[in-house]
Amino acid sequence: MDLSLGLFGNAIVSGLLLGGFYAAVTIGISISFGMLDIANIAHPAFIVLGSYGAWYANSRFGVDPLIASVVLMPAFYLLGAGIYQLYYHAFERRGDASLRGLAFFFGLLFITEVGLILVFGVDYRLVRAPYIGPSLYLGALEFPLRLLVPFLASLAMVGLLWLYLSRSFTGRAILAVAQDAEALRILGADPVRIKRIAFALSIATTSLAGAILIVIQPVEPSIGRDYIGRVFAIAVLGGLGSFAGTVVAAILLGIMESLTATFYGPSWSPAIAFGFLLLALAVKPSGMFGR
Amino acid sequence: MASSLTLSGVTAGYGAVHVLEDVSIAVPAGATVALLGTNGNGKSTLMKCVMGLVRPSAGSIVAEIDGVRHELVGRSTEAIVALGIGFVPEGRRLFPKLTVTENLMLGAFRAAARPEIARNLDFCFETFPRLRERAGQLAGSMSGGEQQMVALARALMSAPRILLIDEPSVGLAPVLVRRTIDKIRELKDSRQLTVLMAEQNFTQAIRIADQGYVIVHGRIAFEGASAEALNNNELIRKFYLGM
Repeated sequence: MDLSLGLFGNAIVSGLLLGGFYAAVTIGISISFGMLDIANIAHPAFIVLGSYGAWYANSRFGVDPLIASVVLMPAFYLLGAGIYQLYYHAFERRGDASLRGLAFFFGLLFITEVGLILVFGVDYRLVRAPYIGPSLYLGALEFPLRLLVPFLASLAMVGLLWLYLSRSFTGRAILAVAQDAEALRILGADPVRIKRIAFALSIATTSLAGAILIVIQPVEPSIGRDYIGRVFAIAVLGGLGSFAGTVVAAILLGIMESLTATFYGPSWSPAIAFGFLLLALAVKPSGMFGR
Repeated sequence: MASSLTLSGVTAGYGAVHVLEDVSIAVPAGATVALLGTNGNGKSTLMKCVMGLVRPSAGSIVAEIDGVRHELVGRSTEAIVALGIGFVPEGRRLFPKLTVTENLMLGAFRAAARPEIARNLDFCFETFPRLRERAGQLAGSMSGGEQQMVALARALMSAPRILLIDEPSVGLAPVLVRRTIDKIRELKDSRQLTVLMAEQNFTQAIRIADQGYVIVHGRIAFEGASAEALNNNELIRKFYLGM
Protein backbone atom coordinates (compact mmCIF):
# COMPACT_ATOMS: atom_id res chain seq x y z
CA MET A 1 0.00 0.00 0.00
CA ASP A 2 2.72 2.41 1.09
CA LEU A 3 4.88 1.41 -1.80
CA SER A 4 2.23 1.98 -4.45
CA LEU A 5 1.20 5.29 -2.86
CA GLY A 6 4.82 6.46 -3.04
CA LEU A 7 5.01 5.20 -6.60
CA PHE A 8 1.82 7.09 -7.43
CA GLY A 9 3.06 10.32 -5.80
CA ASN A 10 6.37 10.17 -7.61
CA ALA A 11 4.66 9.42 -10.91
CA ILE A 12 2.55 12.55 -10.42
CA VAL A 13 5.62 14.63 -9.57
CA SER A 14 7.67 13.47 -12.53
CA GLY A 15 4.62 13.91 -14.78
CA LEU A 16 4.20 17.47 -13.54
CA LEU A 17 7.85 18.24 -14.17
CA LEU A 18 7.71 16.54 -17.57
CA GLY A 19 4.75 18.82 -18.28
CA GLY A 20 7.05 21.80 -17.81
CA PHE A 21 9.23 20.42 -20.58
CA TYR A 22 6.19 19.85 -22.80
CA ALA A 23 5.09 23.44 -22.18
CA ALA A 24 8.49 24.70 -23.33
CA VAL A 25 8.41 22.68 -26.55
CA THR A 26 4.78 23.59 -27.27
CA ILE A 27 4.71 27.30 -26.50
CA GLY A 28 6.29 28.17 -29.85
CA ILE A 29 3.61 26.13 -31.66
CA SER A 30 1.03 27.90 -29.56
CA ILE A 31 2.27 31.13 -31.16
CA SER A 32 2.92 30.02 -34.76
CA PHE A 33 0.04 27.58 -35.16
CA GLY A 34 -2.32 28.97 -32.54
CA MET A 35 -1.97 32.69 -33.22
CA LEU A 36 -0.64 32.95 -36.79
CA ASP A 37 -2.24 29.87 -38.41
CA ILE A 38 1.19 28.71 -39.61
CA ALA A 39 1.50 24.94 -39.32
CA ASN A 40 5.21 24.86 -38.59
CA ILE A 41 5.83 21.13 -38.42
CA ALA A 42 9.57 21.84 -38.48
CA HIS A 43 9.28 23.28 -34.96
CA PRO A 44 10.65 20.15 -33.22
CA ALA A 45 13.60 20.15 -35.65
CA PHE A 46 14.50 23.65 -34.47
CA ILE A 47 14.23 22.41 -30.89
CA VAL A 48 16.85 19.77 -31.73
CA LEU A 49 18.93 22.53 -33.29
CA GLY A 50 18.60 24.33 -29.97
CA SER A 51 19.79 21.19 -28.21
CA TYR A 52 22.89 21.12 -30.36
CA GLY A 53 23.54 24.80 -29.70
CA ALA A 54 23.41 24.14 -25.96
CA TRP A 55 25.47 20.97 -26.33
CA TYR A 56 28.17 22.75 -28.35
CA ALA A 57 28.49 25.62 -25.86
CA ASN A 58 28.52 23.13 -22.99
CA SER A 59 31.03 20.59 -24.34
CA ARG A 60 33.29 23.16 -26.00
CA PHE A 61 33.30 26.02 -23.48
CA GLY A 62 31.78 24.42 -20.41
CA VAL A 63 28.89 26.90 -20.31
CA ASP A 64 25.70 25.89 -18.53
CA PRO A 65 23.32 24.60 -21.27
CA LEU A 66 20.32 26.63 -20.14
CA ILE A 67 22.31 29.87 -19.89
CA ALA A 68 23.94 29.15 -23.25
CA SER A 69 20.50 28.73 -24.84
CA VAL A 70 19.33 32.09 -23.51
CA VAL A 71 22.44 33.73 -24.98
CA LEU A 72 21.74 32.00 -28.31
CA MET A 73 18.11 33.14 -28.40
CA PRO A 74 18.72 36.28 -30.52
CA ALA A 75 20.31 34.10 -33.21
CA PHE A 76 17.22 31.85 -33.22
CA TYR A 77 15.03 34.96 -33.34
CA LEU A 78 16.83 36.15 -36.47
CA LEU A 79 16.61 32.67 -38.00
CA GLY A 80 12.85 32.72 -37.37
CA ALA A 81 12.49 36.20 -38.89
CA GLY A 82 14.35 35.03 -42.00
CA ILE A 83 12.23 31.90 -42.35
CA TYR A 84 9.01 33.89 -42.02
CA GLN A 85 10.16 36.39 -44.66
CA LEU A 86 10.86 33.52 -47.06
CA TYR A 87 7.55 31.83 -46.21
CA TYR A 88 5.66 35.09 -46.69
CA HIS A 89 7.15 35.90 -50.09
CA ALA A 90 6.95 32.36 -51.43
CA PHE A 91 3.55 31.26 -50.08
CA GLU A 92 1.47 33.42 -47.78
CA ARG A 93 1.43 36.50 -50.03
CA ARG A 94 0.04 34.41 -52.89
CA GLY A 95 -2.50 32.64 -50.74
CA ASP A 96 -0.74 29.29 -51.17
CA ALA A 97 -0.12 29.02 -47.49
CA SER A 98 -1.95 25.87 -46.45
CA LEU A 99 -0.70 22.87 -48.42
CA ARG A 100 2.46 24.22 -50.04
CA GLY A 101 3.42 25.92 -46.80
CA LEU A 102 3.19 22.54 -45.10
CA ALA A 103 5.54 21.10 -47.73
CA PHE A 104 7.90 24.03 -47.11
CA PHE A 105 8.11 23.30 -43.40
CA PHE A 106 8.43 19.57 -44.08
CA GLY A 107 11.42 20.45 -46.24
CA LEU A 108 12.88 22.62 -43.48
CA LEU A 109 12.47 19.71 -41.07
CA PHE A 110 14.56 17.42 -43.30
CA ILE A 111 17.15 20.05 -44.14
CA THR A 112 17.70 20.79 -40.45
CA GLU A 113 17.97 17.09 -39.60
CA VAL A 114 20.31 16.27 -42.45
CA GLY A 115 22.37 19.37 -41.71
CA LEU A 116 22.80 18.29 -38.09
CA ILE A 117 23.75 14.74 -39.17
CA LEU A 118 26.35 16.07 -41.63
CA VAL A 119 27.91 18.37 -39.05
CA PHE A 120 27.61 16.39 -35.83
CA GLY A 121 26.94 12.79 -36.90
CA VAL A 122 24.19 10.50 -35.64
CA ASP A 123 25.57 9.81 -32.16
CA TYR A 124 23.58 10.67 -29.06
CA ARG A 125 24.89 13.79 -27.32
CA LEU A 126 24.49 14.84 -23.72
CA VAL A 127 25.40 17.80 -21.54
CA ARG A 128 26.91 18.24 -18.08
CA ALA A 129 25.46 20.50 -15.43
CA PRO A 130 25.49 20.49 -11.62
CA TYR A 131 21.74 19.87 -11.49
CA ILE A 132 21.92 16.69 -13.56
CA GLY A 133 21.97 13.85 -11.05
CA PRO A 134 20.94 15.15 -7.60
CA SER A 135 17.38 15.29 -6.34
CA LEU A 136 15.40 17.22 -3.75
CA TYR A 137 13.25 15.17 -1.38
CA LEU A 138 9.97 16.21 0.14
CA GLY A 139 9.00 13.31 2.38
CA ALA A 140 8.70 10.33 0.08
CA LEU A 141 8.47 12.52 -3.00
CA GLU A 142 11.52 12.87 -5.19
CA PHE A 143 12.12 16.00 -7.26
CA PRO A 144 15.01 15.30 -9.64
CA LEU A 145 16.77 18.62 -10.27
CA ARG A 146 17.36 17.47 -13.85
CA LEU A 147 13.58 17.91 -14.29
CA LEU A 148 12.91 20.62 -11.71
CA VAL A 149 15.34 23.23 -13.07
CA PRO A 150 14.04 22.93 -16.67
CA PHE A 151 10.48 23.05 -15.30
CA LEU A 152 11.18 26.40 -13.64
CA ALA A 153 13.04 27.73 -16.68
CA SER A 154 10.10 26.75 -18.89
CA LEU A 155 7.51 28.44 -16.67
CA ALA A 156 9.66 31.58 -16.53
CA MET A 157 9.85 31.69 -20.34
CA VAL A 158 6.11 31.13 -20.78
CA GLY A 159 5.34 33.76 -18.13
CA LEU A 160 7.60 36.38 -19.69
CA LEU A 161 6.19 35.71 -23.16
CA TRP A 162 2.66 36.05 -21.83
CA LEU A 163 3.50 39.35 -20.16
CA TYR A 164 4.93 40.59 -23.45
CA LEU A 165 1.89 39.48 -25.47
CA SER A 166 -0.71 40.87 -23.09
CA ARG A 167 0.99 44.11 -22.06
CA SER A 168 2.86 45.46 -25.09
CA PHE A 169 1.37 47.05 -28.20
CA THR A 170 3.17 44.65 -30.50
CA GLY A 171 2.09 41.74 -28.29
CA ARG A 172 -1.57 42.68 -28.50
CA ALA A 173 -1.23 43.08 -32.25
CA ILE A 174 0.17 39.53 -32.38
CA LEU A 175 -2.95 38.27 -30.59
CA ALA A 176 -5.12 40.05 -33.18
CA VAL A 177 -3.27 39.49 -36.44
CA ALA A 178 -4.80 36.14 -37.43
CA GLN A 179 -8.33 37.41 -36.73
CA ASP A 180 -8.23 40.30 -39.20
CA ALA A 181 -4.92 41.38 -40.71
CA GLU A 182 -6.51 44.21 -42.72
CA ALA A 183 -8.18 45.66 -39.62
CA LEU A 184 -4.77 45.73 -37.98
CA ARG A 185 -3.38 47.64 -40.94
CA ILE A 186 -5.97 50.40 -40.62
CA LEU A 187 -4.94 50.81 -36.99
CA GLY A 188 -1.42 51.57 -38.14
CA ALA A 189 0.26 48.18 -37.59
CA ASP A 190 1.87 46.40 -40.54
CA PRO A 191 0.51 42.83 -40.28
CA VAL A 192 3.50 41.32 -42.10
CA ARG A 193 5.89 42.90 -39.61
CA ILE A 194 3.75 41.76 -36.69
CA LYS A 195 3.66 38.18 -37.99
CA ARG A 196 7.40 38.23 -38.59
CA ILE A 197 8.05 39.28 -34.99
CA ALA A 198 5.65 36.63 -33.68
CA PHE A 199 7.11 33.84 -35.78
CA ALA A 200 10.64 34.89 -34.84
CA LEU A 201 9.62 34.72 -31.17
CA SER A 202 8.21 31.23 -31.69
CA ILE A 203 11.56 30.07 -33.10
CA ALA A 204 13.47 31.89 -30.34
CA THR A 205 11.68 29.67 -27.80
CA THR A 206 13.17 26.56 -29.46
CA SER A 207 16.61 27.58 -28.22
CA LEU A 208 15.64 27.18 -24.56
CA ALA A 209 13.27 24.28 -25.30
CA GLY A 210 16.17 22.48 -27.00
CA ALA A 211 18.46 23.06 -24.04
CA ILE A 212 15.74 21.70 -21.75
CA LEU A 213 15.39 18.64 -23.98
CA ILE A 214 19.09 17.82 -23.84
CA VAL A 215 19.20 18.37 -20.08
CA ILE A 216 16.40 15.83 -19.69
CA GLN A 217 17.60 13.20 -22.17
CA PRO A 218 20.40 12.52 -24.67
CA VAL A 219 19.70 13.95 -28.14
CA GLU A 220 20.36 12.79 -31.70
CA PRO A 221 19.42 14.74 -34.87
CA SER A 222 16.09 13.08 -35.70
CA ILE A 223 14.72 12.87 -32.14
CA GLY A 224 12.46 15.85 -32.78
CA ARG A 225 10.11 13.63 -34.77
CA ASP A 226 9.03 11.93 -31.54
CA TYR A 227 7.53 15.22 -30.47
CA ILE A 228 5.68 16.46 -33.58
CA GLY A 229 2.44 14.70 -32.69
CA ARG A 230 2.58 15.50 -29.00
CA VAL A 231 3.40 19.17 -29.54
CA PHE A 232 0.42 19.78 -31.83
CA ALA A 233 -1.81 17.66 -29.60
CA ILE A 234 -0.96 19.80 -26.55
CA ALA A 235 -1.50 23.05 -28.47
CA VAL A 236 -4.92 21.90 -29.70
CA LEU A 237 -5.93 20.40 -26.36
CA GLY A 238 -5.09 23.58 -24.47
CA GLY A 239 -7.03 25.75 -26.90
CA LEU A 240 -5.16 27.31 -29.82
CA GLY A 241 -3.31 30.45 -28.86
CA SER A 242 -4.00 30.14 -25.13
CA PHE A 243 -0.83 30.09 -23.03
CA ALA A 244 -2.62 29.07 -19.84
CA GLY A 245 -4.29 26.26 -21.78
CA THR A 246 -0.95 25.14 -23.22
CA VAL A 247 0.65 24.91 -19.77
CA VAL A 248 -2.32 23.06 -18.25
CA ALA A 249 -2.56 20.67 -21.22
CA ALA A 250 1.20 20.06 -21.15
CA ILE A 251 1.13 19.21 -17.44
CA LEU A 252 -1.98 17.01 -17.84
CA LEU A 253 -0.33 15.11 -20.67
CA GLY A 254 2.89 14.79 -18.68
CA ILE A 255 1.07 13.38 -15.65
CA MET A 256 -1.01 10.99 -17.76
CA GLU A 257 2.02 9.69 -19.60
CA SER A 258 3.96 9.30 -16.39
CA LEU A 259 1.14 7.45 -14.61
CA THR A 260 0.62 5.17 -17.59
CA ALA A 261 4.32 4.47 -17.88
CA THR A 262 4.58 3.67 -14.16
CA PHE A 263 1.58 1.40 -13.83
CA TYR A 264 1.02 -0.11 -17.30
CA GLY A 265 4.27 0.33 -19.21
CA PRO A 266 5.69 3.15 -21.36
CA SER A 267 4.37 1.78 -24.64
CA TRP A 268 0.80 2.56 -23.54
CA SER A 269 1.40 6.24 -22.84
CA PRO A 270 0.90 7.65 -26.37
CA ALA A 271 -2.37 5.70 -26.69
CA ILE A 272 -3.68 7.11 -23.40
CA ALA A 273 -2.51 10.63 -24.22
CA PHE A 274 -4.02 10.77 -27.70
CA GLY A 275 -7.14 8.98 -26.48
CA PHE A 276 -7.60 11.76 -23.97
CA LEU A 277 -7.03 14.36 -26.69
CA LEU A 278 -9.79 12.85 -28.85
CA LEU A 279 -12.15 12.66 -25.90
CA ALA A 280 -11.45 16.23 -24.83
CA LEU A 281 -11.96 17.57 -28.33
CA ALA A 282 -15.22 15.66 -28.69
CA VAL A 283 -16.50 17.39 -25.55
CA LYS A 284 -15.00 20.84 -26.23
CA PRO A 285 -13.73 21.30 -29.81
CA SER A 286 -12.10 24.68 -29.09
CA GLY A 287 -9.81 23.09 -26.50
CA MET A 288 -9.78 23.57 -22.75
CA PHE A 289 -9.04 27.30 -22.76
CA GLY A 290 -10.05 28.18 -26.31
CA ARG A 291 -11.86 31.48 -26.75
CA MET B 1 -5.73 72.93 -34.89
CA ALA B 2 -7.05 72.88 -38.42
CA SER B 3 -7.08 69.63 -40.34
CA SER B 4 -8.63 69.26 -43.74
CA LEU B 5 -8.77 66.70 -46.52
CA THR B 6 -8.85 67.42 -50.25
CA LEU B 7 -9.25 64.90 -53.06
CA SER B 8 -8.61 66.18 -56.58
CA GLY B 9 -9.32 64.25 -59.76
CA VAL B 10 -9.04 60.85 -58.12
CA THR B 11 -9.47 57.91 -60.49
CA ALA B 12 -9.22 54.40 -59.12
CA GLY B 13 -10.40 50.88 -59.70
CA TYR B 14 -9.63 47.22 -59.56
CA GLY B 15 -7.85 45.94 -62.66
CA ALA B 16 -9.48 47.34 -65.79
CA VAL B 17 -12.67 48.38 -63.99
CA HIS B 18 -12.85 52.02 -63.00
CA VAL B 19 -14.76 52.45 -59.77
CA LEU B 20 -13.96 56.14 -59.29
CA GLU B 21 -13.63 58.63 -62.14
CA ASP B 22 -12.17 62.07 -61.64
CA VAL B 23 -13.59 62.54 -58.14
CA SER B 24 -12.87 65.81 -56.34
CA ILE B 25 -14.00 66.35 -52.77
CA ALA B 26 -13.10 68.94 -50.16
CA VAL B 27 -13.51 68.30 -46.45
CA PRO B 28 -12.82 71.67 -44.79
CA ALA B 29 -11.29 71.88 -41.34
CA GLY B 30 -13.80 71.09 -38.61
CA ALA B 31 -16.57 70.14 -41.01
CA THR B 32 -18.63 66.98 -41.30
CA VAL B 33 -18.97 65.99 -44.92
CA ALA B 34 -21.36 63.25 -45.99
CA LEU B 35 -20.58 61.06 -48.97
CA LEU B 36 -23.96 59.85 -50.16
CA GLY B 37 -24.80 57.12 -52.55
CA THR B 38 -26.35 53.68 -52.72
CA ASN B 39 -24.38 50.45 -52.71
CA GLY B 40 -21.77 49.91 -55.38
CA ASN B 41 -21.22 53.53 -56.37
CA GLY B 42 -17.68 53.78 -55.04
CA LYS B 43 -18.01 55.20 -51.52
CA SER B 44 -15.94 52.49 -49.89
CA THR B 45 -13.32 52.56 -52.62
CA LEU B 46 -12.93 56.30 -52.08
CA MET B 47 -12.38 55.75 -48.35
CA LYS B 48 -9.87 53.02 -49.12
CA CYS B 49 -8.00 55.38 -51.46
CA VAL B 50 -7.62 57.91 -48.64
CA MET B 51 -6.37 55.19 -46.27
CA GLY B 52 -3.86 53.85 -48.80
CA LEU B 53 -5.61 50.50 -49.10
CA VAL B 54 -6.42 51.12 -52.78
CA ARG B 55 -3.96 53.04 -54.92
CA PRO B 56 -5.52 55.64 -57.25
CA SER B 57 -4.31 55.56 -60.87
CA ALA B 58 -4.62 59.34 -61.10
CA GLY B 59 -5.29 62.35 -58.91
CA SER B 60 -4.07 63.56 -55.58
CA ILE B 61 -5.25 63.28 -51.98
CA VAL B 62 -3.91 65.96 -49.66
CA ALA B 63 -4.35 66.05 -45.90
CA GLU B 64 -3.50 69.32 -44.22
CA ILE B 65 -2.79 68.72 -40.56
CA ASP B 66 -1.78 71.65 -38.33
CA GLY B 67 -0.83 73.70 -41.36
CA VAL B 68 1.37 71.00 -42.90
CA ARG B 69 0.32 69.51 -46.23
CA HIS B 70 0.80 65.77 -46.76
CA GLU B 71 0.23 64.03 -50.09
CA LEU B 72 -1.35 60.69 -49.17
CA VAL B 73 -1.17 58.91 -52.55
CA GLY B 74 1.80 56.55 -52.51
CA ARG B 75 2.04 56.36 -48.73
CA SER B 76 1.51 53.13 -46.82
CA THR B 77 -1.60 52.75 -44.68
CA GLU B 78 0.59 52.70 -41.56
CA ALA B 79 2.12 56.06 -42.54
CA ILE B 80 -1.32 57.56 -43.20
CA VAL B 81 -2.61 56.38 -39.82
CA ALA B 82 0.53 57.79 -38.20
CA LEU B 83 -0.36 61.25 -39.57
CA GLY B 84 -3.55 61.20 -37.49
CA ILE B 85 -6.17 59.91 -39.88
CA GLY B 86 -8.54 57.43 -38.28
CA PHE B 87 -10.85 55.00 -40.06
CA VAL B 88 -14.00 53.17 -38.99
CA PRO B 89 -14.34 50.57 -41.76
CA GLU B 90 -17.54 49.15 -43.19
CA GLY B 91 -18.63 46.11 -41.24
CA ARG B 92 -16.70 47.43 -38.21
CA ARG B 93 -13.86 44.88 -38.53
CA LEU B 94 -13.38 44.26 -34.82
CA PHE B 95 -11.18 41.48 -33.49
CA PRO B 96 -13.95 39.10 -32.43
CA LYS B 97 -11.87 36.94 -30.09
CA LEU B 98 -10.33 39.85 -28.21
CA THR B 99 -12.07 41.67 -25.38
CA VAL B 100 -13.48 45.18 -25.72
CA THR B 101 -10.51 46.63 -23.83
CA GLU B 102 -8.02 44.70 -25.96
CA ASN B 103 -9.73 46.00 -29.11
CA LEU B 104 -9.58 49.57 -27.80
CA MET B 105 -5.93 49.27 -26.76
CA LEU B 106 -5.07 48.16 -30.30
CA GLY B 107 -6.64 51.39 -31.54
CA ALA B 108 -3.82 53.24 -29.80
CA PHE B 109 -1.10 51.44 -31.77
CA ARG B 110 -0.08 54.69 -33.47
CA ALA B 111 2.99 56.06 -31.67
CA ALA B 112 1.51 59.54 -31.11
CA ALA B 113 -1.56 58.04 -29.41
CA ARG B 114 0.33 55.98 -26.83
CA PRO B 115 1.14 58.70 -24.27
CA GLU B 116 -2.55 59.70 -24.09
CA ILE B 117 -3.84 56.17 -23.81
CA ALA B 118 -5.26 56.34 -20.26
CA ARG B 119 -7.05 59.63 -20.94
CA ASN B 120 -8.46 58.42 -24.25
CA LEU B 121 -9.65 55.15 -22.73
CA ASP B 122 -11.44 57.11 -19.99
CA PHE B 123 -12.99 59.33 -22.61
CA CYS B 124 -14.23 56.31 -24.60
CA PHE B 125 -15.76 54.74 -21.49
CA GLU B 126 -17.44 58.03 -20.56
CA THR B 127 -18.81 58.45 -24.06
CA PHE B 128 -19.99 54.84 -24.24
CA PRO B 129 -20.78 53.73 -20.65
CA ARG B 130 -21.99 50.41 -22.03
CA LEU B 131 -18.44 49.60 -23.08
CA ARG B 132 -17.15 50.09 -19.54
CA GLU B 133 -19.71 47.52 -18.34
CA ARG B 134 -18.66 45.13 -21.09
CA ALA B 135 -14.92 45.85 -20.98
CA GLY B 136 -13.95 42.21 -20.46
CA GLN B 137 -16.40 40.72 -22.96
CA LEU B 138 -15.25 39.30 -26.30
CA ALA B 139 -16.11 41.77 -29.06
CA GLY B 140 -17.52 39.01 -31.27
CA SER B 141 -20.22 38.20 -28.72
CA MET B 142 -21.71 41.72 -28.64
CA SER B 143 -24.75 43.09 -30.43
CA GLY B 144 -24.40 45.09 -33.64
CA GLY B 145 -25.02 48.40 -31.89
CA GLU B 146 -22.43 47.67 -29.23
CA GLN B 147 -19.94 46.58 -31.87
CA GLN B 148 -20.43 49.87 -33.69
CA MET B 149 -19.64 51.65 -30.41
CA VAL B 150 -16.44 49.62 -30.07
CA ALA B 151 -15.48 50.44 -33.66
CA LEU B 152 -16.00 54.17 -33.12
CA ALA B 153 -14.18 54.09 -29.77
CA ARG B 154 -11.31 52.09 -31.26
CA ALA B 155 -10.82 54.74 -33.94
CA LEU B 156 -10.89 57.47 -31.27
CA MET B 157 -8.14 55.69 -29.33
CA SER B 158 -5.75 56.61 -32.13
CA ALA B 159 -6.40 60.29 -31.26
CA PRO B 160 -7.21 61.12 -34.91
CA ARG B 161 -7.47 64.63 -36.37
CA ILE B 162 -9.41 63.48 -39.39
CA LEU B 163 -11.91 60.65 -39.02
CA LEU B 164 -13.29 58.57 -41.89
CA ILE B 165 -16.42 56.58 -41.16
CA ASP B 166 -17.68 54.07 -43.71
CA GLU B 167 -21.40 53.17 -43.47
CA PRO B 168 -21.94 53.51 -39.71
CA SER B 169 -25.61 52.53 -40.10
CA VAL B 170 -25.07 49.18 -41.79
CA GLY B 171 -26.82 46.33 -40.01
CA LEU B 172 -28.29 48.51 -37.27
CA ALA B 173 -31.93 48.91 -36.25
CA PRO B 174 -33.37 52.35 -37.15
CA VAL B 175 -33.34 53.60 -33.56
CA LEU B 176 -29.66 52.65 -33.26
CA VAL B 177 -28.83 54.36 -36.56
CA ARG B 178 -30.22 57.60 -35.17
CA ARG B 179 -28.28 57.18 -31.93
CA THR B 180 -25.04 56.34 -33.74
CA ILE B 181 -25.32 59.39 -35.99
CA ASP B 182 -25.99 61.62 -32.95
CA LYS B 183 -22.94 60.14 -31.26
CA ILE B 184 -20.76 60.94 -34.27
CA ARG B 185 -21.83 64.59 -34.09
CA GLU B 186 -21.14 64.65 -30.34
CA LEU B 187 -17.68 63.14 -30.83
CA LYS B 188 -16.86 65.51 -33.66
CA ASP B 189 -17.66 68.49 -31.44
CA SER B 190 -15.92 67.27 -28.29
CA ARG B 191 -12.78 66.07 -30.08
CA GLN B 192 -12.72 68.80 -32.72
CA LEU B 193 -12.57 66.29 -35.53
CA THR B 194 -12.84 66.74 -39.25
CA VAL B 195 -15.20 64.00 -40.43
CA LEU B 196 -15.84 62.34 -43.79
CA MET B 197 -18.73 59.91 -43.51
CA ALA B 198 -20.00 57.58 -46.23
CA GLU B 199 -23.63 56.70 -45.76
CA GLN B 200 -26.57 55.21 -47.62
CA ASN B 201 -29.08 56.50 -45.14
CA PHE B 202 -29.61 59.94 -46.66
CA THR B 203 -32.05 61.39 -44.11
CA GLN B 204 -29.92 60.40 -41.14
CA ALA B 205 -26.63 61.49 -42.67
CA ILE B 206 -27.70 65.02 -43.59
CA ARG B 207 -28.94 65.67 -40.06
CA ILE B 208 -25.32 66.17 -39.01
CA ALA B 209 -23.59 66.96 -42.30
CA ASP B 210 -22.39 70.48 -43.07
CA GLN B 211 -21.89 69.56 -46.70
CA GLY B 212 -22.58 66.60 -48.88
CA TYR B 213 -21.56 64.93 -52.10
CA VAL B 214 -23.71 62.50 -54.00
CA ILE B 215 -21.71 59.85 -55.81
CA VAL B 216 -23.28 57.93 -58.69
CA HIS B 217 -21.41 55.27 -60.67
CA GLY B 218 -18.07 56.55 -59.46
CA ARG B 219 -18.65 60.22 -60.31
CA ILE B 220 -19.71 63.14 -58.19
CA ALA B 221 -23.26 63.79 -59.40
CA PHE B 222 -24.13 66.59 -57.03
CA GLU B 223 -22.34 68.77 -54.54
CA GLY B 224 -24.38 70.44 -51.82
CA ALA B 225 -22.86 73.19 -49.72
CA SER B 226 -25.52 72.78 -47.03
CA ALA B 227 -28.09 70.32 -45.78
CA GLU B 228 -30.93 72.41 -47.33
CA ALA B 229 -29.24 72.41 -50.69
CA LEU B 230 -29.06 68.62 -50.54
CA ASN B 231 -32.62 68.28 -49.33
CA ASN B 232 -34.06 70.48 -52.02
CA ASN B 233 -32.05 69.17 -54.90
CA GLU B 234 -34.12 67.89 -57.79
CA LEU B 235 -31.63 65.20 -58.72
CA ILE B 236 -31.55 63.72 -55.26
CA ARG B 237 -35.32 63.73 -54.93
CA LYS B 238 -35.66 62.00 -58.26
CA PHE B 239 -32.86 59.46 -58.39
CA TYR B 240 -31.79 58.97 -54.84
CA LEU B 241 -34.95 59.17 -52.85
CA GLY B 242 -37.17 58.10 -55.73
CA MET B 243 -39.67 60.91 -55.14
